[in-house]
Amino acid sequence: MTALAGGKTPSARRITWIRRRRAFAGAWRDYRASTPGLIGLGVLVVIVIGSLAAPLLANHDNLDPSKTLTTPLWASPSQLSPLGTDNLGRPIWDQLVYGSRVSLLVGLAATVIAMVIGSVVGVVAGFYDGWPSAVLMRVTEWFLVIPFLPLAIVLASILGPNVRNVIIVIGITSWPGTARVIRAQVLTVKQRLYVERSRALGAADRHLMLRHIVPNVSPLILANTTLTVPIAILSETTLSFLGLGDPLRASWGRMLDEAFSNGAIGKNAWWYYLPPGIGIVLVVLAFTLVGHALEEVLDPRLRERRS
Amino acid sequence: MTGRRRIVTAALCGAVGLALLAGVGSAAHKANPVTLTVGFGQDVDTFLPATGVLVIDYEIWNLQYATLTDKAAGDFKTIPGLASSWKSSNHGKTWTYTLRPNLKWSDGQPLTSADVAYTINRARAEAWLNYTSTVGSIKAFAPNPRTVVLRSSVPDPKLPTMDVYIIPKHVYAKVSKKGLTKYTAQDGVGSGPFTLEKYVKGQYIRMKANPNYWGGKPAIDQIVFRLFTNEDAKVFALKKGEIDAAQDVPASAFTDLAKVKGIVTVQGQQGGFDELGLNTYAGKPLRDTSKFGAPNPALKDLRFRQAIAHSIDKAAIVSRAYNGIGTPADALSPAANPEWTPKIPAAQRYDFNLDKAKKLLDQGGYKDSDGNGIRNLPGGGKDIVLRYLVRSESVYSAPTAQFITSWLKQIGIGTKISVFNDTQLTSEIGKGAYDMFVWGWTPFVDPDPELSYFKCDQVAVDAKDFTNYYNDASWCDPVYDKLYAQQHVELNHAKRVAIVHQMLTRMYRFAGYNIIEYSPDLQAYRTDRFTGWLRQPANTGPVIFSNTSPSYASLEPIKQSKAAMAPGGIAGGVLLLLLGCFVAVGGGLGRDGDARRVPARSASRRS
Repeated sequence: MTALAGGKTPSARRITWIRRRRAFAGAWRDYRASTPGLIGLGVLVVIVIGSLAAPLLANHDNLDPSKTLTTPLWASPSQLSPLGTDNLGRPIWDQLVYGSRVSLLVGLAATVIAMVIGSVVGVVAGFYDGWPSAVLMRVTEWFLVIPFLPLAIVLASILGPNVRNVIIVIGITSWPGTARVIRAQVLTVKQRLYVERSRALGAADRHLMLRHIVPNVSPLILANTTLTVPIAILSETTLSFLGLGDPLRASWGRMLDEAFSNGAIGKNAWWYYLPPGIGIVLVVLAFTLVGHALEEVLDPRLRERRS
Repeated sequence: MTGRRRIVTAALCGAVGLALLAGVGSAAHKANPVTLTVGFGQDVDTFLPATGVLVIDYEIWNLQYATLTDKAAGDFKTIPGLASSWKSSNHGKTWTYTLRPNLKWSDGQPLTSADVAYTINRARAEAWLNYTSTVGSIKAFAPNPRTVVLRSSVPDPKLPTMDVYIIPKHVYAKVSKKGLTKYTAQDGVGSGPFTLEKYVKGQYIRMKANPNYWGGKPAIDQIVFRLFTNEDAKVFALKKGEIDAAQDVPASAFTDLAKVKGIVTVQGQQGGFDELGLNTYAGKPLRDTSKFGAPNPALKDLRFRQAIAHSIDKAAIVSRAYNGIGTPADALSPAANPEWTPKIPAAQRYDFNLDKAKKLLDQGGYKDSDGNGIRNLPGGGKDIVLRYLVRSESVYSAPTAQFITSWLKQIGIGTKISVFNDTQLTSEIGKGAYDMFVWGWTPFVDPDPELSYFKCDQVAVDAKDFTNYYNDASWCDPVYDKLYAQQHVELNHAKRVAIVHQMLTRMYRFAGYNIIEYSPDLQAYRTDRFTGWLRQPANTGPVIFSNTSPSYASLEPIKQSKAAMAPGGIAGGVLLLLLGCFVAVGGGLGRDGDARRVPARSASRRS
């Protein structure tokens, strides 16, 4: 309340901003208390910076086998540092660095799609009773019941293998969980008194949803987002490994696929499959740690339980 | 899912283990069938000899169907098969064959000259894809049960060799011409050393010894062709002795495998090659264009095709994508014997030269008019993006595609990749909605069939059954057709070779079918259980999946020492089995159960 103690009365908008800044500072304080969350964030920052700085760290020409005709095939890291070469003589390091871009891009973009669909469906289905809710929830359940992998495989093979389609496929197959969680939260929020009052004052549905419901479920959306990213990245890996990824762009999943189909395991070429494998594990773990830490900070129910 | 499978595995293992323990006493007396297991990587498309195109189909037919004349294992010389002798009359246009006495089909029915005449006449009348180049001008007669007379309307340099698969009349007479397209041909009635017993799609093909085979019942009781969806798994299975021989050993594992004791590796040369085929359909022969796809218009331009030919570094593909195994190629190799393949003069060769390729494209008017790095059709037309079909059943197809797309990109041509398995690829190519692909062929002993595939009449025109055509470049050249007809009836060997060279040089210059490499069949077999492996031709050829596959009938099991058959040995086996179960249950069987793509080497003898 210190900000209000001064002589001049700040505008309502300024008060909102002060309150938000404080809430954020408080959330960050809470977040810092979680060691796993910090570790996850640190790993993520390193990987994201690495993938953004790929042109500085690696040579894009090295992804093209017709431009690496002088390197040895299947070179181990001791023969060609830092990470050796693959079956076509392409250095693993360059593929790893550039591959992180595709994995992160697909993971994040697919999550955005999933979150938009999931949030809209969740909010609408929770806010309205009756048939809109029933229809939307049946659709959600339909997507939940169909096993993810077959659906994704069918979609990917119909749409064709490229990065955009992989994003779409993963996006439209991973929203139903979010929709259900959001809907549950909307159901409780819309019963609160201030919502009732707002409605009594004549607020329209649109206003209620955008000004009262969505801000109240947005922490949940954020926490859910960070937990959906690792699943999306794993899905990209899975689809690439099954040969449904973009055949012309290096991604970690495709590196694993190529290592597997070209006999890296039989040749004990660990430098071919371990780096992308470890990369995937690290990113997924980092996102999960961050997601759980955020969830604890943002979800009031979890916080109460903790204290 | 894994959980449930483990439980089932555990239950099964327990049951089998107990049963074995209980049966130790009696099992020692009961002989197990002697089984040869062969690992391969390309599933059957059809068992019907009239239309199948994959090498595995031919392997099955080689075992199941005897031919009128056979070929020597060592040098492909024509030797007696179903016929024990033959003589010619009428200046080589009429041949009279005498069949062996008492021939029988595997189901006990007598095999007579009526079966032979039926096969040849029906194949000619219905123009069966795989028979026409051999029997197209031949009429067969069966004056008595042991005599077959073949009358050719033209002089035929291939006679007296008659190597078409003879099918059982009493089975096929019930199948109409229309019904044939849907006939699965899994009747298992044959006259060769082994006949089809069981086929499980995606898993295995089991063949059993034919007691009525004219060469006598083979020494092994059954052959199991086990399909491997992963190359590594196939190599491990061979190393562990789960399989006795492997077809299509991946080049990356081949050199390592050669060092393993008890395993012999084979680089089988029988004229096989891999090619970059372009869709060059240019309006001939006429077909209903609304039902077929069309190639990119640029592909009709010789300069454009030459630019593509100049941008393929074959040596780089062989040394990098094929691990250095194979030879960079120029002209198509139409037969097992290299004498049929012409040498392309240096002045006429399309050497790897990206600058020259770019110059050709500039001259042809293919400019990048919209500045996006991809050239446009002349006059500011569309971006030139070629549809490139990649095989999923080959470990070399995707790496080769990476090289080719990269070079094409460097000369300003875009590509759009889609992946198909071999069965799908056959119909995709037939539909004509593609621009390029990389596949392979394994030719026969006589060049005629391979040459016949590139005639105008092999360009798909029937949209209802486009799989019934071979010409996968959709290339139609009347001069080539004329030369084909000449060599088809040329009895002078040297003259015939010269005509064939002329045809293939012409084909090379057309630049629609760029041969990338002459590819050996990479195979390996174990020496601990069977002896009698035959290379065909001797010293240089493959041991299995060869022209007539003579190995199988000549193989003999190596006598196991008595100790191994004693109860102690079986108890040890039970222990091993239980141990295996432990590993399988604990490790969830190691391999994931998802249907993986099937990598394999050139599908070849698509012929």
